[in-house]
Amino acid sequence: MRKLPVWLKLAAAATFAFLYVPLVVVVVYSFNDSRLNAEWVGFTLDWYRVLFADEAMLHAARNSLTIALVASLCATFLGTLAGLAIHRYHPRWLPLLVITPVAMPEILLGVSLLVFFIQVLHLTLGLVSIVLAHITFSIGFVAIVVRVRLVGMDESIFEAARDLGASPWQTFRLVTFPLILPAVVAGFLMSFTLSIDDFVITFFTAGVGVSTLPLQIYSMIKIAVTPEVNAVSTLLMLLTLLLVVAASRMDKGFMKGRA
Amino acid sequence: MSAPRSDRLTRWAITVPPTLFLLVFFLSPALIVVLAAFQYPGEFGGLAPLVNPAGGNQHGREYGLTLENARFFFSDFLFTEIFLRSFVVAAESTLICLLMAYPVAWLIAKSPKQHRDLLILLVILPFASNFLIRVYAWMIILGPQAALARMVNGVLGALGLEPVSLLFSPFAVLVGMVYVHLPFMILPLYTNLEKHDPVLLDAAQDLGANAWQRFWRVTWPLSLPGVFSGSALVFIPVLGMFAIPDILGGTRDMLIGNLIKDQFLGVRDWPFGATLSIVLTLCVLALAGFAAWAGRARRAHA
Amino acid sequence: MHRVACAVRTILRRAHGAHYLLLLLSLPLHAADTLYLYNWNNYISEATLARFETQCQCKVVQDYYSDNEEMLAKLAAGASGYDLIVPTGNAVEALLRSNQLRPLEKARLKNLHNIKPEFLSAFFDPGNRYSMPYAYTVTLLGYNVEKLRALNLPTDTWALIFEPRYLEKLKGRVTVLDSQRELMAAAMRYLGYSVNDSDEVKWNRARDLILRAKPYWAAFNASSYIKELTVGNIWLAHGYSNDMFQAQRDAEKAGRPFHIGYSIPKEGAVLALDSMVLHKTGRHPELALRFIDFMLEGNNSAELTNLIGSGNPNREAMRHIAPEIAGNPAVFPATEGMKHLEMLRDLDRKSRRVLNRLWTEIKLR
Repeated sequence: MRKLPVWLKLAAAATFAFLYVPLVVVVVYSFNDSRLNAEWVGFTLDWYRVLFADEAMLHAARNSLTIALVASLCATFLGTLAGLAIHRYHPRWLPLLVITPVAMPEILLGVSLLVFFIQVLHLTLGLVSIVLAHITFSIGFVAIVVRVRLVGMDESIFEAARDLGASPWQTFRLVTFPLILPAVVAGFLMSFTLSIDDFVITFFTAGVGVSTLPLQIYSMIKIAVTPEVNAVSTLLMLLTLLLVVAASRMDKGFMKGRA
Repeated sequence: MSAPRSDRLTRWAITVPPTLFLLVFFLSPALIVVLAAFQYPGEFGGLAPLVNPAGGNQHGREYGLTLENARFFFSDFLFTEIFLRSFVVAAESTLICLLMAYPVAWLIAKSPKQHRDLLILLVILPFASNFLIRVYAWMIILGPQAALARMVNGVLGALGLEPVSLLFSPFAVLVGMVYVHLPFMILPLYTNLEKHDPVLLDAAQDLGANAWQRFWRVTWPLSLPGVFSGSALVFIPVLGMFAIPDILGGTRDMLIGNLIKDQFLGVRDWPFGATLSIVLTLCVLALAGFAAWAGRARRAHA
Repeated sequence: MHRVACAVRTILRRAHGAHYLLLLLSLPLHAADTLYLYNWNNYISEATLARFETQCQCKVVQDYYSDNEEMLAKLAAGASGYDLIVPTGNAVEALLRSNQLRPLEKARLKNLHNIKPEFLSAFFDPGNRYSMPYAYTVTLLGYNVEKLRALNLPTDTWALIFEPRYLEKLKGRVTVLDSQRELMAAAMRYLGYSVNDSDEVKWNRARDLILRAKPYWAAFNASSYIKELTVGNIWLAHGYSNDMFQAQRDAEKAGRPFHIGYSIPKEGAVLALDSMVLHKTGRHPELALRFIDFMLEGNNSAELTNLIGSGNPNREAMRHIAPEIAGNPAVFPATEGMKHLEMLRDLDRKSRRVLNRLWTEIKLR
């Protein structure tokens, strides 16, 4: 590993600082003894207490996590396939099909999906409709990232594997997948983030009585975005941290087991 | 030679699932939208039906298809102006994201494996909290009574200049846009930079290239696919954003996302909203097509 | 079928928790007696809801909207299942004309007579066949009392947000509502026209008035002006009476060195009367009707007023309302004051488009 120049490390550190300053504000203000999210008054754990008593908020948080997990798993799977297909077989319409949900304004996607679900599919809205909607817009992100990874990769590796007698499935499992794994994981993380934070599309496709965290928080905007919201955000970050750590452990085990 | 049958099976197994899913859950709704752009707005919202259920033409009400929405769009340069302005903001955001993301992506790509996972986590983590609360945090940071604004205005005052408002301004909108989209630039760049072969850089160094030349002649061209993907993942969502201009923007910061949102959630003019969205989508697809063509031309060149 | 297969495949690939996830994928069953209420944010007290739930042995599930248009958009796209909605007058008009409401069985409403006569038979529902008044708010100006006094500014006129001679002193400290109808209505009243006048010439004059004042405004703000007023970043805000009530309370609680006041401008303002209506697609109209009757009781109705400072169209409720609210002319205007208040009517689609273009111009220039 060559040494990295100092200015590079400084620039990266500055960007990280930029990323984290608002975060620090969010976390610190979750302990703020004031109803308003505006300036520091004093320290309190009250908002966490309020949060755990707030049925609606907890229910919404549970919904958000469930939806995000299921949707990003499916989207990662389908998006990886799409990325592979586009790179290898150059199908004519798939690239367009994949990128347009990303290019289209979210509001349009939300409204059209709502109209489609209700008037064409006669689907009762609920968690399922939200999951389907989230998968639709996430596939594109995963496909792009996976394809970027594949472009410029040395094709001879795959041919070598095949020449050695590996079946397509074995080639995928032992050669392709490990090589694209960083992109797949990045795609998964992006989908998860997109899903957990999505407001616009969820707004339209959520069923009656179904709420997610962004919807819940949005409904609080008028009154005040009280520190309870900061508290739930802080806990969400903690949870994601644990999830990612667990996932990376699982991944290493998975890879080791198979090799 | 591998059996052609299993090849075809593989190809089928890989291509069909995403295609099928998207055909059903994306194309059909999209067609509804395209159709909507050519319908009349419903009198009280939604869309007017395609066929008059009562038969014949009731006075004042129209049914069926029309080009009126497209005509309305082109009737005033106003709407095109909003598009142009939004493209400028999106371009600015993308450029700033690129400048900020590149060092970070490089750092992560060149770090030892254990650190790499941690750094990626650090990039993703802020985005596990809620979008709105992060934007609200910027309201606090940029507020007129907060430390940053007071510092800036103090300096301006010392120089004899008028105080500026950091919040409710194009600056605040830009900060918000960049902040929210940074990881979407970092991640694709990283996945690309990570697979750069260090041997190439060593070879370049042996041939006498200095640091800047190594970057410009070797790293940058190789990273272009990542740059383009990251740029796409920033540019496009920025165009459709309405929450950030709403919360952080001033009185002149309306972007195309706000206009489209107004059509659906403010004026009940769905056909016009659909028209605007189609124009937006077409512009973006055109840009993406151009970028892809440019990428291919360059690769053919190289 | 396909998505189940894909879910199962990916879950099995990553092991762990397959059964948990499949369980969560199953649709929740509706409780036998649940009332689905689609209401404004913070427009009913938790205590009231709890009391209703005990009384009717049922559950109430609320969904929220922060704007009539939001609600109308979702309903227009086909969202169904809401039993009771609380739209403002012009939205009731739109819902009625698009045949989305169920008529009320007035015979079952024992507390109907509690409503003040001046709030019955409004323009959107003569005879109250579909709606029952719930609460009302007035769109007015909220301000930092001390700051405006120090700057020698009046507090009861729209000129405050439209006249440069006043705005000069308030530069960057004023926000107006991010609402096409509301801002235009304020401008129209200031110019002496009716808020429902859709004459393009008059609208253009209103637009020019707004564009002249815009450089002095900080932002178009529909959501966070309560906070901005309370914190002291903003000294004057165009907003709703119940929001200003909240800002006043917040400022007191936070021990600010200033007070928030609010008053209805003398040129007139918009009155928003919100009514309870039954949506056609609701599955529990019985329950919804009981809820309406419940909210027509004086003490239940008063709880909302005491909570958010909204106006109350219920005669019986007046006894239960805190005196400082009951005596506030911005919440309960005297008969004279009521004459200057107008309700917004829905616009037809051609006017909506004209207004839309006007509004885009306002935002862009």
